[in-house]
Amino acid sequence: MPSRFLIHYAQAHHEFRLPELQSVAELHDISYKLPDDPKDRDPTRPFMVVELESEEHARILARRCILIKAVYEFYAKGSTYEEVHRNNRQSEHLWKRYVEDTSFRFLVTSSQHKIPQSRQREVIESFSYMDFRGKIDMKTPDILLMCFEEYDEKPGTTRERHEGDGDFREVFFGRLIEEGTARQLVRTFDVKKRVYYGNTSMESEISLLMANQTLASPGKFIYDPFMGTGSMAYPTGHFGALVFGSDIDGRQMRGKQKVPGVLRAAQQYGIASRIVDLATFDITINPWRCGDLFDAIVTDPPYGVRAGAKRLGRKRELSERQKELCLMHSKSPRPDDQPYIPPTKPYELSHLATDLVLFSRYLLKPGGRLVFFLPTTDEYQEVDIYSMLCEGMEVIANSLQDFGSWGRRVRSDYSQAPLQVLIIRIQLVTIKKTTSKQFPPPTFEPIQPSPDESAHVPAHRDFREKYFQGFKPKSNETSVAEEATTS
Amino acid sequence: MVRLLTHNLLACHAKNCNANNFPLQFKDVQLEIREADFNPDFLKGFMPKIDWKALVDTARQLGDTSLPLEQPEMVDDEFLKNLHHVLLEIHVEEGSMTCPNCGHVYPISNGIPNMLLAEHEIG
Repeated sequence: MPSRFLIHYAQAHHEFRLPELQSVAELHDISYKLPDDPKDRDPTRPFMVVELESEEHARILARRCILIKAVYEFYAKGSTYEEVHRNNRQSEHLWKRYVEDTSFRFLVTSSQHKIPQSRQREVIESFSYMDFRGKIDMKTPDILLMCFEEYDEKPGTTRERHEGDGDFREVFFGRLIEEGTARQLVRTFDVKKRVYYGNTSMESEISLLMANQTLASPGKFIYDPFMGTGSMAYPTGHFGALVFGSDIDGRQMRGKQKVPGVLRAAQQYGIASRIVDLATFDITINPWRCGDLFDAIVTDPPYGVRAGAKRLGRKRELSERQKELCLMHSKSPRPDDQPYIPPTKPYELSHLATDLVLFSRYLLKPGGRLVFFLPTTDEYQEVDIYSMLCEGMEVIANSLQDFGSWGRRVRSDYSQAPLQVLIIRIQLVTIKKTTSKQFPPPTFEPIQPSPDESAHVPAHRDFREKYFQGFKPKSNETSVAEEATTS
Repeated sequence: MVRLLTHNLLACHAKNCNANNFPLQFKDVQLEIREADFNPDFLKGFMPKIDWKALVDTARQLGDTSLPLEQPEMVDDEFLKNLHHVLLEIHVEEGSMTCPNCGHVYPISNGIPNMLLAEHEIG
């Protein structure tokens, strides 16, 4: 029979909470049931009560979910202490076995608030009807009981000490089963402590969340087609998967020492043997002999603010004469020539995203997942994500997060000029290959602009250009800004 | 790096090089043997993807004769251990891979193969 567990979540990356729970549950074949009331599964709140088959399942979640701080056996909740005690009495069958002779510690705590000691004691005493006769042990208790008051977050305001004490939203009460151990990985994989990283290396928490979306585990084969400095590879490798990385620019993977940088970082994490190989190639002209190879593709494509995506080719076509000269030169290089580096041209983001989905459909095994990052702007619409899909590929999670906005003022007299902002949003997209049909490799041909003018243009199209030029005035200051740009 | 698993998955992709473009031929190789985690499930799952003849021929060229010429129907532990060693523990660190059809040379340095093509080789 399923029982209820109280999950304490980190107050970070709310959008990823449910997708992560779904992924980890799928990976370990765990069935779960979320609360019926939308208020109770609101991902911005610190607690959620989830139904699970067993305590063991709760432990597995705590060991793998990056966002879980701890799991508790759920005893009671309520918006007043009367309600909590009423519910707690009904849960007596759950805690009765600890009454007789179990050492315990009782903790009263809260979020966004500090409860005064005197009231903490009051709260503890109000539970005296439970009549626990075991020894109170603050250091190594057999069980930890926790009573947690949830206060509403008031971002941007500072509270007086103890201000609004007792004015909580809800109280939760339960017994600690396991503290989340996966959360520590955020520090383990901290980019600042990594022996090799680049200026666009992905922050460790996000890369861990992405690794969970791939269902990485021993025996899985995972591919990152925009490997860069390998940020996505380390957490996936840590969870046991074998990782293959490719990149059009080998310098990112190599670094400056003899042993490639990606391998040195992998050695630091003890997973060097799981980096199957690194190869330099352009995904649009790739050497894969066959498809249906990988359990997951996980990548953080270069989206062009600091490092733009590139593909082989030239921005401007050469004349026939120039082409001939190039060919002659490549056939008889001068002895002191540097190794040949072929020319590249920019790879527009919406085009890259569409290609990546097609490419993944070819390379993924049936049921395999594509997990990637896509930046967009506040003009994002739901349809953007669907415009890049193709037959047999379905979105199973799309976590959109405001990433902050970059603002700038356009005139020299800063304080007077209107503030122009571009709101950047980041979406973590998880797409699943839902077909076992074989598809040919994609052609990577440029998408012809649709003659139909009403065709949908996704907000991530030409992201780089938008970033550098598209700072738009705030709507109420439009006229001023126009004046500013014309003057 | 450049393990035989990878070598078994890469074909020449130069323009108009569509037949006889696999397997690429190793030349002037420096080998290293490095241990890897043995995972029988991964190997069994990967076996249908292997071009067996290419794998055995290449392994023999590099001096490993532990694999049978025909891919066996029944797999035992010893076979899987040998397959594991050949696919995942032999690393080609330096040298090159040459396309048997068009002759394109893909150089390998510090274990990373450069599979980029020149301007006149792309479509």
